[in-house]
Amino acid sequence: MDINKTKSGNTTTVALKGRLDTVTSAQLSDELAAIWEALAGNLIFDFAALDYISSAGLRVILMAQKKINSLGLEMEITGVSDTVKEVFDITGFSEILKITC
Amino acid sequence: MIRVEHLSKKFGEHVVLKDVNAEIKKGEVIVIIGPSGTGKSVFMRCLNLLETPTTGKIYIDDVDILDKNTDVSKLRQKMGMVFQSFNLFAHLTVLENLTIGPVKLLGKSKADAEKKAIELLKMVGLAEKSRNFPDELSGGQKQRVAIARCLSMESDIILFDEPTSALDPTMVSEVLAVIRRLAKEGMTMAIVTHEMEIARNIASRVFYMDEGLIYEEGPPEQIFENPQKEKTKAFINRVRSFRYHIATPDYDLYAMNAEIEAFCEKHVLPKKVRHNVLLLLEELLAMINPANNWSEIDICLAYSEKYDSLMLTIESGGEEFNPLQESDLADDIGSIIVNSLGEKLEYERVDGKNIVSLIVKR
Repeated sequence: MDINKTKSGNTTTVALKGRLDTVTSAQLSDELAAIWEALAGNLIFDFAALDYISSAGLRVILMAQKKINSLGLEMEITGVSDTVKEVFDITGFSEILKITC
Repeated sequence: MIRVEHLSKKFGEHVVLKDVNAEIKKGEVIVIIGPSGTGKSVFMRCLNLLETPTTGKIYIDDVDILDKNTDVSKLRQKMGMVFQSFNLFAHLTVLENLTIGPVKLLGKSKADAEKKAIELLKMVGLAEKSRNFPDELSGGQKQRVAIARCLSMESDIILFDEPTSALDPTMVSEVLAVIRRLAKEGMTMAIVTHEMEIARNIASRVFYMDEGLIYEEGPPEQIFENPQKEKTKAFINRVRSFRYHIATPDYDLYAMNAEIEAFCEKHVLPKKVRHNVLLLLEELLAMINPANNWSEIDICLAYSEKYDSLMLTIESGGEEFNPLQESDLADDIGSIIVNSLGEKLEYERVDGKNIVSLIVKR
């Protein structure tokens, strides 16, 4: 999976490309650990190029949401494909996360 | 058109064909299937004497081709052959590949041969490539030229020896379209193939070869829906299912996924179903085999054409454990996904194995 971080003002955007699954979720987890240390503002996950997410990926996103909440900041997930949105819907994550398609 | 009686073929002591008896009538499309190494290609190559049979008789239009007085070259002109590796003449253009035979062997004028060649190239969709050389064409294009070449010789029957095996999946359909058209137009054909779509949808009869003979033959409905003999049943079941063994926790998930995608593509399953299969498998494997309690796993994905559904079965060893009801995982996210994307979820314990099965929802 490719992870591309960009910053615009105080907002950090993390764009994922590929699959967020059992194999790649640790990679995102490590990337986020570095991001928390330097985070100055809100976080956007750009999922436009993400084809697939499993429970392993959902757990990392959930942890990210909890961390953002504890920092008093906001997190948004953009560019969500129909396939990924369906996984968010069936697991109830659509209710917890701020998602735009 | 073709009658084969007690054909056998040995290579040294190795018997490939034991006792083959067959008849191919005019207008029939005979598709020959079977496991690798059961003599399908050898049988095909015996028909036009690319291989010499050890014993037996082959009649083409009631003429014994193995009789020493028979003009084999003349008889061979009646039979075109399309090979797995195309076998086009690399030093000739596409047009020249189609005209050399008619001019040199059928006595046609160059002008007539070229006119016919262009018509045939139009039929296979390659008229604009007439001046190209074979190495400038894709695999699918080469094979279509090879078919047009057989037609240029006005063959009565075309033999195909694994015509799509050397093509990548994206090119297979263009060649199948040409074969389908020829079948509709009444061309007599015998096709050795691993593409079950050809056997199911184009064949008038299917020969299943095994044990060095035509083990079972019949119309596609019989062979695929109601095979009579044990080995035919086992073969049909195998080609419709995907099996994978996971031996260690460090298995290559992506290699397994690639094989599953190829299986789904072969059965023309929608993208959504492919996605759901992969997700279901990933979640079930995590539920069945928590990190601290590893056991080897056997996966079976079986497609039922009759019910138009995909069944996923996972067998694992170790202690009795129903992952659909018990869980060692920290949350139930995986379980929610499994219950949403699968139906008819079942668990049973058989011969010391935990077996979980479900139908993949469409």
